[in-house]
Amino acid sequence: MSHPTDDELVDLALGEPVDAERSAHVATCGQCSATVEQLRRTVRLASGPVSYAGWQAPDDAVWARVAAEIDADDPPVAEVPETANAASSPDVAAHDIRVARDGARRPSRRRTAAWAGALVAASLVVGLLAGRAIWSPNESGSVSQVALKTLDTRQREGEASVVRTGDGLDLNVVTDRPLDAGDGYLEVWLINADGKRMVSVGVLRPGETGTFPISQALIDQGYVVVDISKEQFDDKPAHSGDSLLRGKLPA
Amino acid sequence: MSPTWLGGSVHVHDDPDVESAELAVRLSGGDREALAEMYRRWSPLVHTIALRALGAREDAEDVVQQVFVAAWRGRATLRPDQGSPAAWLVGITKHRIADVRTQRYRTHRNLQAVASEVVTEQAPTHEADWAERLLLVHELERMGDPRATVLRMAFLEDRTQEEIARTLEMPLGTVKSHVRRGLLELRDRLKEVERVASD
Repeated sequence: MSHPTDDELVDLALGEPVDAERSAHVATCGQCSATVEQLRRTVRLASGPVSYAGWQAPDDAVWARVAAEIDADDPPVAEVPETANAASSPDVAAHDIRVARDGARRPSRRRTAAWAGALVAASLVVGLLAGRAIWSPNESGSVSQVALKTLDTRQREGEASVVRTGDGLDLNVVTDRPLDAGDGYLEVWLINADGKRMVSVGVLRPGETGTFPISQALIDQGYVVVDISKEQFDDKPAHSGDSLLRGKLPA
Repeated sequence: MSPTWLGGSVHVHDDPDVESAELAVRLSGGDREALAEMYRRWSPLVHTIALRALGAREDAEDVVQQVFVAAWRGRATLRPDQGSPAAWLVGITKHRIADVRTQRYRTHRNLQAVASEVVTEQAPTHEADWAERLLLVHELERMGDPRATVLRMAFLEDRTQEEIARTLEMPLGTVKSHVRRGLLELRDRLKEVERVASD
């Protein structure tokens, strides 16, 4: 005999009258009785007392945290070339990102810790690069630029541009209106497209245009995400995790 | 991978199921705005479940953060044919809540001084069903009328189908059909939660 239809199983689950032969089949058929049990459970759960005091939305800051975390693992536009310098093998950072991905811990803190390690490594690179800052003096002018947007609403609130000067490259950062640094200060970072490494390029004073010397090698290695963070005077050199604006320079 | 409507005009639907399915397709295609829309719609559901399960607001908000980040990273596991992504999100939520509980247990185990709290924190027997219950509340709220009213009368007020038909001045066959479709739909949501939560 064929199985009863879903409709008949619903009737059976609800105690509505069902053909006797049909219900006899269900009693002996594992598949059908499992379906009836699922339906009964659904009714139990739907009809049970639900003492909840309405829906409670999370704080707005939570979405900003989601957006920041996703931004940090934007896939790189191009493969970062593997070079034999300290920053290309930040074991600590790689490990921490992996831990963060399993979702069992609070990722923002883990990543900040990762950045602290990466920052030390990356600082070495900057030092190395400065040592061989011999540039073919190309003509001056803007190399690339990007709008800086808020992480949550993606609203444009500033702009960053890379400008070629006689000596090398400058990163210019300007905001449409002064950012609120609260009790702390604003710091400008270049985050690597791999989301694992970053370097601090300097402090931005609210309402002013910041000009920071950078190097082509930094850009070539994938440090292309411009980030403005709010930092506290807390003796911690790592990124606070509190990003205000961000934008990725075009390749 | 890149559906034509991604960059095209915005479709407006009255049917929440169609909208939800479209959101699911957009998310699995990597559309970030779809994630933002899902957050707007379902973060209160996820948050309320987490809050109910964990008590502490900070933990609940951490769970919300983790769920939507996991939704983005795991968008390939979303099955648009399952209708509402809400059930999928609730499945992920159950995972994250279990993680937080495991962590709490470890913390407590390491702090012998709070041994008594472990006892008081033990979940009641039906605690595990809270995610499902709240999802069903949400689904009933979202479902259009008259089906929602019919189901509410059938399940919450425990009225017979004849009574419902009389009260709503609706043919008995129509009431029956709403109950059947509605119950099967809700059952499918629970199956989706189970599929994701047991991964």
